[in-house]
Amino acid sequence: MKKGKFGEYGGQYINEVLMPILIELEAAFEKHYPTAEFQEKLNGLLRDYAGRPTPLYYAKNFSKLVGCKIYLKREDLVCGGSHKLNNALGQALLTKEMGKSRLITETAAGQHGLATAMAGNVCELETEVFMGVKDIKRQASNVKRMKLLGAKVTPVDIGMGVLKDAVSDTLRKWTTCSQTTHYLMGSTVGPHPFPEIVATFQSVIGKEIKEQILEKEGRLPDTMVACGSGGSNALGAFRPFIKEKEVKLVFVEGGGESLESDNNAAAFQIGKPGILHGALMQVLQDENGQIKPSKTRAAGLNYPGRGPEISFLVESGRVEAHYAFDKEVFEAVKVMGRTEGLIPALETAHAIAYMVKHRQEFGEEELVVLNYSGRGDKDLEAIMRYFHES
Amino acid sequence: MNLEDKFQELKSRGEGAHMPHVYFGDPHEEFSLRLIETLAENGADILEFGIPFSDPTADGPTFQAVCERALENGVTPAKCIQGIKKLRDMGVENPIVVTTYYNIPYVAGVGNFLNKIREAGAQAIIVPNVPVEEADVLLAEGKKSGIHVIFQIAPTTTEDRLKKIADIASGFLYVINVEGVTGARESLADSTLKLVKRVRQHTDMPLLAGFGISNRQQASNVVAAGADGAIAGSCYAKIYEKNLEKPEETLPEIADLVGQIKQGCIEGYRRR
Repeated sequence: MKKGKFGEYGGQYINEVLMPILIELEAAFEKHYPTAEFQEKLNGLLRDYAGRPTPLYYAKNFSKLVGCKIYLKREDLVCGGSHKLNNALGQALLTKEMGKSRLITETAAGQHGLATAMAGNVCELETEVFMGVKDIKRQASNVKRMKLLGAKVTPVDIGMGVLKDAVSDTLRKWTTCSQTTHYLMGSTVGPHPFPEIVATFQSVIGKEIKEQILEKEGRLPDTMVACGSGGSNALGAFRPFIKEKEVKLVFVEGGGESLESDNNAAAFQIGKPGILHGALMQVLQDENGQIKPSKTRAAGLNYPGRGPEISFLVESGRVEAHYAFDKEVFEAVKVMGRTEGLIPALETAHAIAYMVKHRQEFGEEELVVLNYSGRGDKDLEAIMRYFHES
Repeated sequence: MNLEDKFQELKSRGEGAHMPHVYFGDPHEEFSLRLIETLAENGADILEFGIPFSDPTADGPTFQAVCERALENGVTPAKCIQGIKKLRDMGVENPIVVTTYYNIPYVAGVGNFLNKIREAGAQAIIVPNVPVEEADVLLAEGKKSGIHVIFQIAPTTTEDRLKKIADIASGFLYVINVEGVTGARESLADSTLKLVKRVRQHTDMPLLAGFGISNRQQASNVVAAGADGAIAGSCYAKIYEKNLEKPEETLPEIADLVGQIKQGCIEGYRRR
């Protein structure tokens, strides 16, 4: 496979201004990442600052409800409340190695923006976070956290004021300052080498799962489930298992209100291959190739594209693509709260909803690992409002 | 008229070329046709004809808003291509360079798309999000359909990329003045002038400089620095967007500006 391509997906569909910067980034990643010094710094931060390894928790009560044996990979316990910090720390260290002084990024749920602000402070880098005006409103608590940490939060009011628009604006901004500033891409999307870099930093999740499940159960799981849009938590969990063909991998995207056009973020259901934000991927679009806005109550899944690697894995049949509707997702939050006393992020609740909905399909002895990607504190208001209104 | 003849003609007249950039369909097709006709009659040598895209990441706020309005008003790639044909029927003879983002030709089928724009009357295409690394299909189909593929060169472009781009380029090269996106700016950095000179060492191909050019002096400066012409776009949209209800009322002001920028291209050439 050509470098930066996953089948036909991926590539570097980006303007000439940024191409030399991407080449430089790829070279820096290949040079620094494998070195013992870099690994030592990264692993030290992941351990002492982020709180890794995260536990693999046997969710006894939730297992009983579904009717199989479910382990939760507790990424909600990573400092900051989600898996996003794994990648942010890695790229912030890389930024230091490249001699750049600033980070820019975009965020939807605010988790990646928060992780970037944290990693930026740890590595003494200035941070600017672009965020759609709609997301600023619905993820207010994370905006406060980012500001408290000293990050500049720049509202994006073009388009629908959501993640897609924030990514476009961050790319534009990067075009003007790429010599001094690193775009800390938060998901496995964008032009090469971003999808590779992000998946590499996130695959610490899957490596830990492998060790932990072997220790606890003496065997690999039958099924792994993760939510996603760009695919960073899913690929992080799946990557070390892609070659283990007997492990079924399930990816759950945002079904929004319904699968009708304009009512969801389900690019694997109703999207097709297209080029957006630097890469060829599965994307929601109209018949002329205009990108369509996505819609889901989970801000972190509200992106019209699926990253190149997850697009390829689904197309090739290695990963099964499913979706969960908003309604099922809110119910899943309740189920997790009542069974295990945990409040999941709305994004994570998509994976939980999948388990609840498909519980008939699992046998009692079946071993499932669900990547519990983040905690739901940021969604508390939305969750309360939903149950209050309905 | 094809691009080679146009550049030849300008050279013999001792003039720099002016290529105004318009996104078709903002606020509606009828206005775009009149706008482009006005530009052609008052100083444009080559026309950059934009097909709007939903996520124009290489464009600044002015053209983002332009694309958004045009799409809201229902413009489609098919209507744009029809628009090129209408311009030809109206007697506009200037070379037409289509600009769009890659998903538009990709979804239509690259070869099919290039054939259609050629049949409508276009001579070249600019796809800002296709760098040399991803250009194989576009180049092969461009050759087959007789459409020049125009590449961009930026201040960040390294020497070895510059050489690669110069080797595969045809028609002309688009020199991006500044690190950034399209949009009118107050002044042009010295790096612009350096870049034009740097590119010149690798190729004799015509060079058109764009991004951040919005007046006569800036056009004159880039041409004096060795560019064969100047590209300006957002500055025209900025004029008509002030009066979107009756944009045709702004055409005299636009005619005046395109005349001035063209004058700058002529002056710049004489200052060389």
